[in-house]
Amino acid sequence: MTAAATALATDDPVLLAFAEEVGSEGPVAVAGGRTRWATGGTLTEGTRLIAAPTGIVEHLPDEMTVTVRAGTSVAELHAALAAAGQRTALPDRGGTIGGALAVGENDLRALGRERVRTALLQVRYVSAEGRIVASGGPTVKNVSGFDLPRLMVGSLGTLGVLAEVILRTNPIPPVSRWLAAEGAHPRDVLEATLAPSAVLTDGTTVWVELEGHAADVDAEVARLGTVGSFAEVDGMPDLPVHRWSLTPAEVLALHEGGSPHDTGAFVGAAGLGLVWGSTPQPARPLDPTVAMLSERLKQNFDPTGRLNPGRMPGGA
Amino acid sequence: MDLKLGADELNTCVQCGLCLPHCPTYRVTGDETMSPRGRIKLMREVQLEDAPVTDEVIDAFATCVQCRGCEPACPSGVPYGHLMEQTRETLADAGQMTPVWLRAAMKPLSQPKLLAAGTAALGVAKKVGLVPDRLGLGAADIPLRQEPLPTTGTDVYLFTGCVMDTMQRDVHRAGLDVLTAAGFGVTPTGAEAPCCGALQAHAGLTDETRGLAEKMMRSLEPERPIIVDSAGCGAAMKEYGHLLGTEEARVFSGRVFDIQEFLADHVDKLPTVEPLDLRVAVQDPCHLRHVQRVHEATRVVLRPFVRELVELDDDGLCCGAGGAYSILQPELAGQIRERKLGSIDRATPDVVASANPGCSLHLGAAGVDTIHPMELVAKAIRT
Amino acid sequence: MYRYAKLRNRVTRTFGMGADEVAADPFIADLVAALSPDRVKSDGAHRALLSHDASVFDGGNSGPVVFPETTAEVAAVMAAAQTHGRNVVPRGAGTGLAGGAIPLGVPVVVAVTKMDEIHEIDTDNGIAWVGPGVVNLDLTKRLGPLGYHFAPDPSSQQVCTIGGNVANNSGGPHCLAYGVTNAHILAMEVVLPSGEVVMLGGLDAEPAGYDLRGAFVGSEGTLGITTKIAVRITKNRPEVRTLLLSFDSVTDAANTVSGVIAAGIVPAAMEVMDQRITVAVENYVNAGYPRDAAAVLLAEVDGLAAGVDLDAERIAEIGRENGATNVKLAGSDEERALLWKGRKTAFGAIAQLAPDYYLHDTVVPRSKLAEVLQQTYDIAERHDLVIMNVFHAGDGNLHPLILFDARDEGVLERVHAAGAEIITASLDAGGVLSGEHGIGVEKQKFMDRMFSSDDLDHQNRLRQAFDPGCRTNPGKVIPTGHSCADIQSLRSIPKEVWA
Repeated sequence: MTAAATALATDDPVLLAFAEEVGSEGPVAVAGGRTRWATGGTLTEGTRLIAAPTGIVEHLPDEMTVTVRAGTSVAELHAALAAAGQRTALPDRGGTIGGALAVGENDLRALGRERVRTALLQVRYVSAEGRIVASGGPTVKNVSGFDLPRLMVGSLGTLGVLAEVILRTNPIPPVSRWLAAEGAHPRDVLEATLAPSAVLTDGTTVWVELEGHAADVDAEVARLGTVGSFAEVDGMPDLPVHRWSLTPAEVLALHEGGSPHDTGAFVGAAGLGLVWGSTPQPARPLDPTVAMLSERLKQNFDPTGRLNPGRMPGGA
Repeated sequence: MDLKLGADELNTCVQCGLCLPHCPTYRVTGDETMSPRGRIKLMREVQLEDAPVTDEVIDAFATCVQCRGCEPACPSGVPYGHLMEQTRETLADAGQMTPVWLRAAMKPLSQPKLLAAGTAALGVAKKVGLVPDRLGLGAADIPLRQEPLPTTGTDVYLFTGCVMDTMQRDVHRAGLDVLTAAGFGVTPTGAEAPCCGALQAHAGLTDETRGLAEKMMRSLEPERPIIVDSAGCGAAMKEYGHLLGTEEARVFSGRVFDIQEFLADHVDKLPTVEPLDLRVAVQDPCHLRHVQRVHEATRVVLRPFVRELVELDDDGLCCGAGGAYSILQPELAGQIRERKLGSIDRATPDVVASANPGCSLHLGAAGVDTIHPMELVAKAIRT
Repeated sequence: MYRYAKLRNRVTRTFGMGADEVAADPFIADLVAALSPDRVKSDGAHRALLSHDASVFDGGNSGPVVFPETTAEVAAVMAAAQTHGRNVVPRGAGTGLAGGAIPLGVPVVVAVTKMDEIHEIDTDNGIAWVGPGVVNLDLTKRLGPLGYHFAPDPSSQQVCTIGGNVANNSGGPHCLAYGVTNAHILAMEVVLPSGEVVMLGGLDAEPAGYDLRGAFVGSEGTLGITTKIAVRITKNRPEVRTLLLSFDSVTDAANTVSGVIAAGIVPAAMEVMDQRITVAVENYVNAGYPRDAAAVLLAEVDGLAAGVDLDAERIAEIGRENGATNVKLAGSDEERALLWKGRKTAFGAIAQLAPDYYLHDTVVPRSKLAEVLQQTYDIAERHDLVIMNVFHAGDGNLHPLILFDARDEGVLERVHAAGAEIITASLDAGGVLSGEHGIGVEKQKFMDRMFSSDDLDHQNRLRQAFDPGCRTNPGKVIPTGHSCADIQSLRSIPKEVWA
């Protein structure tokens, strides 16, 4: 850190110690919950594995923010937030905050929880040179300088090692209900309802999550009745194992049986484009110019290629 | 050079740019030299910084339609219309703007017989295909003969003007009928007050305009309301106070009412009749909406007499007619009109109601079915 | 403005090229070949105008101005600039207040205003493809009949372009609930400084690779030029409730705002105006605002009928608990529209009070609103200035507005000094430099108060991945002393201005 006390400077000994641990030499990677360990390629052998610091630093419900260290589990964070009636956009799939952000997967219910990439307000990461770098800011609204937090989401820690973040929190709606119907069309459901939190389809059944004030949800349920015979269910269906990223329109095509995508059995999120299929999605090669920009970014942020070596976002 | 612009008026603009979308020439060109903010900046460059008056500068000023759509949009209340008129006057006096032939063309407007002859000649020429398309008169119906208007009383004047009287006497007749139906005795001004001076003012011929204004004020009886059914004329006459700067002129301007504006206060006096089975789009003439700012009155007066009123989705952007603009800047006027046509298409009306002859001619030339609001009301009352 | 005559460093005197030089400039010849002669302007009038935006900053220095209509033309302009080693500055409607579009280094100014086509509205994908020159409000108007709108609604929405919204990551009153521009951009076709055309992001849920889309939004025109943008379209809410709460103190209003959020309500908008500005607005538009309240809070909730009624009641309750002297629910759409008209024309009302004003933009934590507001009044008093506050309270986004008359001797120094203190106070309260105006040239010198040298260095690394030559909108955002901050190829050609 520089001596001048800039607004985003930190003297948190935990973060400073983590920066020391990352250091400035030799290949290094963070192991979180290892729930997506294969994403982006295979870690180069001999890479030093470290763990990110843990702990919820500060939850400010009035500010709708929480400061949390990257090694904290999503489950722990969400449990703490729930006690104050709030949640975040991060999916809880058994991993850490850092892992969830570095991988960047969205919750299947992102229509109601927002995208992960918009949840990250401020980031402190350790650079390839072992320096703590801060970007973004502690407020929900902020356009001060280049938006590195956006770049960090889904970057697999290849540009910097996430240490501590500030996330946007949102109130948990008073009521949340799942309904399902066979034979309904997800497009009709999206048109009939104002703001469903999730509209899922497996080609036969459509599941809908509605959240909000009880009376509003009742009204939405009534409107759902105009597009299908919906009945209350416990929650979302079991999901196949392979994650696909498609467009919302492609999910509608999957539902109608006219899709060229061979997902096998699937559950897809209409209005969002996320699909879980029984077959893996074929590789999505980057456009050559995008690949060139990505390589330049990697080169600029990590000239020696020491951060999470072997992996690249969009890689195998 | 000194454009003779008032320092305070020129200094009011803070260059925020909120005027840009309300300027028809900026809308079609995307070019800030053709925007109010840009033109004001150029006025400053010329007057305060002694920048030379280059072709581009002249072009920036000459392409302004003077619709004054920027004025209601301006949070700082910049008197743009006055700035532009003064700029043109100074440049015209210096011989840098307004070609001689245009000054000559303005002459007949204040001389009714000459104008009538000219218009009739234009009508004949059009019939035999001699009028070039660039004049934008393609579909306009230019009458060859006209019936005189009757006097029905002395409660109010109906200003009949020059271009309007010759080309659209049916509009005056409709206005006269509607005013009479509302219980007002009407005196058409006819040759007594031939020209309001609006076109001369636009061209920067301010001395001529002042002369016409004084003539008009002399020739009309005091105190009687002067009803105007052409938005451009009404706007010009309401500005005599500013133009001449005398108390007498201000009092005169206070007697001037747009016909819709006047009738909106007396709409209860009109007979209750079966509305016309028409979906009518209201096209607000700029001088009604942006200058006189009484365009809501058109709706108040029309609403009881037609099945459906529909608004255009362009926030009252100019149609490109702008007095002689469609003749002087045919290319831009055509582009501006294209935008308006898109808006009219989206509104899917049976007919477009426009309270200004210039707009009607300009839109009519592109095949739009236009009619003066008074003609609709008169038709509903007559049937 | 008087400053125009007196305070301006006369840029137009130093940037112009003579007619001969224009004709002989091979760069301009290439531009003309790439577009057409009528869309390449190198005359003094164009260059004088496009040397400015809506900010108070001088020193702009425009080279030729081009008006491309297609992606290929933008690419050709970029390639020509690259070949000739010239700078490029993109420009939308020029409404920025931080000087982001002010051309530095005699660049070619690329005005995207002619690229104003709404290409496609795709409800199945929930997006519209638009050109960068499409005006924000025009898109919303076009979407209206389909039951959608474009959520970011900056106060300049009637004029600002979506390309400009992307560059500045624009906000607006309603981004409290809906998020800023970044949340509403899914994909962009971008021309890189090299002239290469690339699609960033995608319509699919999770496009592969780094989120280059996210990094591009808010980069203030330094990473390239957008030529086609996929924006998310948002369903119109069927029910809206707008409340006007009056308070005896700004503190009570600020506490109400915090209380509402703490109660788990995220209103569509929460706007506060202090008494000075409320009176000015009321004099200007007669919207029905109380003249005797120390502060008013305009709160809006939208959604379904039952919920908005519940939320509106709860907000009223929280207001009363915090000392609201009056709570009024807009009874009709007209009343609601009038209240918003008052809020949105606030700056207009100000323009009627003083010949000049300087509008600031910082963000503080909601809990610090009252404290920092009081500091702004104290700061103004110390500098013998009049200050008013109208702001996006829900976001903690302050807009202190300093009124002055530039004709007063030395006033500008005081205005700038007060501004610097306001920024410092905001940062000290745990806030940030800018909520929606951006950094531009306005806040460059404050960047190192918020960011360390390492932080700024990393921002620069992002920038140089896109623009290794630092030729696109040079001299912006990053403060001097860092690479890319100093203009590389400053060509000044002090000849005849008005060629």
